[in-house]
Amino acid sequence: MAMLKTILGNLLRPPRTRGPADMPDVPPVYRGALAHDAARCTACGTCAFVCAPKAITFTQDPGVSVSWHFFIGQCSFCGLCAQNCPTQAIGLQADAPGATNSAAGDGLRLESVVRLQPCTRCGAAHVPLPDAVMEALWGVGEAERGYCPECRRRAASEKLRAAFVPVQEAHHDR
Amino acid sequence: MNLIERVIAISRRRSPWICRLNAGSCNGCDIEITPLLSPRYDAEQLGVELHGTPKHADIVLISGTLTLRSRQAILDIYAQVPNPKAVVALGSCPASGNVFAGSPLVLSESLDSIVPVDVWVPGCPPRPQAILDGVARAAKLLEEGATKSQLESRRGRLS
Ligand code: SF4
Ligand code: SF4
Ligand code: SF4
Repeated sequence: MAMLKTILGNLLRPPRTRGPADMPDVPPVYRGALAHDAARCTACGTCAFVCAPKAITFTQDPGVSVSWHFFIGQCSFCGLCAQNCPTQAIGLQADAPGATNSAAGDGLRLESVVRLQPCTRCGAAHVPLPDAVMEALWGVGEAERGYCPECRRRAASEKLRAAFVPVQEAHHDR
Repeated sequence: MNLIERVIAISRRRSPWICRLNAGSCNGCDIEITPLLSPRYDAEQLGVELHGTPKHADIVLISGTLTLRSRQAILDIYAQVPNPKAVVALGSCPASGNVFAGSPLVLSESLDSIVPVDVWVPGCPPRPQAILDGVARAAKLLEEGATKSQLESRRGRLS
């Protein structure tokens, strides 16, 4: 009798089996496929440095762009690149990567192109800093925003020098 | 394609039998196959059955880092699978060697250079559903006659 009750109860319940397309929710911290935001990347190379299986590589088109490459077949989804990226250009998506037929290559490769910009002072091609970093370091609307790292360094030391070494005419009352 | 060939092709998709081959895996990928065969993810809803011997299988799931010693085993087992056959590579290891690449006894090359791979399932390890998706893709390829070994044998017959 008890068995009959169990059978009837189970008949009314939906099955626990998940269909192939019925993906369970993953936690928000799940480390799925990588996404890269070229607008935030400064091509510093930290992600390639911390990546143990060398899933991230860079190629250069000198004077034009730097490309960030990622091969999913080499990634161990450890999340170190996202953790160490100073500008948070890399994110590990919550959705899990799907299977790929080898007709489309041996898995998923990502390429993300970071365009170089000419320096507004000397003209040297450089990777622009992301806007948020620029604002934090140099403020909004400063001339230094378009400078290359070399000119920025120069501008910074000039500012420092102006702060420490008083200009001759300036009155110094300390 | 006559009716009988059509029925055979459909039955290849509807009942793909798989066998597993651990080529030197850390066991992560193999652990994920276990829930795939459990009632929760239930590979048998697609007609998938796990078999212990390659002689009964249509699809070989290969997981793990390729090592110097497993190379011959992969070739032997692949040769024992009756035609038509498909190969599904699980995880990052067969694609590149993953974190083990560069170790002295690890081949650090793609599985494709040993046996023709039809489906790659990314992940380290991949989720059970991603593996199921990979098996379903391989079964579809078997139905269409589009796995690499099928294309190869057709090319051999034509020439
Ligand atoms: S993604 Fe981040 S860590 Fe990698 S090069 Fe760009 S800024 Fe640096
Ligand atoms: S998640 Fe880990 S293995 Fe994957 S690219 Fe980032 S650092 Fe490399
Ligand atoms: S892909 Fe990851 S989980 Fe699978 S065998 Fe390799 S290291 Fe282990």
